[in-house]
Amino acid sequence: MIRRLRALLAGDPELAGARASRLERFGAIVQLTRPRALVFVDRERARSLGLDGGAAWQGPEALDAAPLSAPLEAHLQITNRCDAGCAGCYTGASKAAGSGEWGLVEWQRAIDTLADAGIFHVALGGGESTILPWLGELAAHARARGVIPNLTTSGLTGLDRLLPIAERFGQINVSLDGLGDTYAAVRGFDGFARADAALRALRSVKREIGINVVVTRANYGELPAIFAHARRRRLSEVELLRFKPAGRGATIYDRLRCTDAQHRALLPTVLAASRATRMRAKLDCSYTPMIAHHDPGAALLAQLAVYGCTGGDFLVGVKPNGALTACSFAAPPPPHGDHRPSALDLPAYWNQPDAFGAFRSWRAAAEPCASCAYHALCRGGCRVVSAHRGDARAPDPECPRVVDHRAAQPREKPRLPVV
Amino acid sequence: MIRPRGKILAVKWGMNPNSSSLGVDVTFLLFGATAVALATPIVAALIRWRKPAAPAAAVTLPTPTPGDP
Repeated sequence: MIRRLRALLAGDPELAGARASRLERFGAIVQLTRPRALVFVDRERARSLGLDGGAAWQGPEALDAAPLSAPLEAHLQITNRCDAGCAGCYTGASKAAGSGEWGLVEWQRAIDTLADAGIFHVALGGGESTILPWLGELAAHARARGVIPNLTTSGLTGLDRLLPIAERFGQINVSLDGLGDTYAAVRGFDGFARADAALRALRSVKREIGINVVVTRANYGELPAIFAHARRRRLSEVELLRFKPAGRGATIYDRLRCTDAQHRALLPTVLAASRATRMRAKLDCSYTPMIAHHDPGAALLAQLAVYGCTGGDFLVGVKPNGALTACSFAAPPPPHGDHRPSALDLPAYWNQPDAFGAFRSWRAAAEPCASCAYHALCRGGCRVVSAHRGDARAPDPECPRVVDHRAAQPREKPRLPVV
Repeated sequence: MIRPRGKILAVKWGMNPNSSSLGVDVTFLLFGATAVALATPIVAALIRWRKPAAPAAAVTLPTPTPGDP
């Protein structure tokens, strides 16, 4: 409190919680740093804050009528090096660096481009980004450009390097896919003790530390215990991520992905665990169909900015070689002419009519998405899961509504050959 | 009675450290629409009272043309 008062008196915008803003077709997005929030306001409210969209405010005002003017955040996979060798790694990370990985200078230039575009946050990941000696310098550069860097780490290595620079990040989450033996069952090796030690060490220097859990059928039953563990460690949040068929994860997807029954029970399970432990719960974008299944009300979800696939819209990914993608799980889009777009090309690529392909095609949805009350929010579910089943533009095959719809379709009778 | 000027369309709480997907805070679903209704005027006051940190980002929005979605 004293630090906050001093900040207010000294005019420190970060601690005092000053606002930054960005114009959008529908109005504007205003960022608050205390409390941490992105606030979407309509044109009239934006005008009352002294903002003016000019001619761009002449068209349709609906929030979902068109992609944003730029992503809210970029997921930078700053290396694909990682010693852990997790069985389901979605990037297929390995001990050796991939060819053509960018260095500090290129990533700083990318952050300059993203900052100029109006991006608010970057999430740094890998591979294991804490092995990079220049991670702190990159985080400082993002801060200097008004972009808040956040970080995911396995906690298995690089802790000595991370602890002194932890305060440069907005939020740091440690990947913890289970407690004790369950960790090994999901990841293929026993790393629980080291990851847990990293959680304790990070929490001793920073409040905004959380857990990322990739949810599989192997650790689903342990979710309440993971929330309780987060509470014991005095963490700020638990974020649950759906297991995706990408990288090495594609080869073991059918063995580890959650069952339909687990998907249907996810939201009540998570909310009960959150209530019991008074722990903030976050679900990743691919879980929106499983939230909508419980019909919480489209207006309420819209107010809470609960969206499904926003790849190539609210977020973009950048591969270790700088290639721009719709999200971290997606392959880079096809070359534009003879050039594959990199993070440095974001401003030029963003407004191309065919940018990000299937990721922006959700408005032309098939049934049962087309008639779903949540479609404008959910946007057809996870494109990466749909692509794994053969068609990136098809409805998410694991959405409970899609499962029910397909089960109700009359099965085609096998035809006898005509002789 | 002061009539609110314009609307808050959505509030995305927290920051996303996850470098693979976009996380949303679902804790509010425990309390439902009432909690959101209570929080909205507070958020409205905060965005009005806080001083701008910097000029709005240099974003150039394309001017809509007939036929735009």
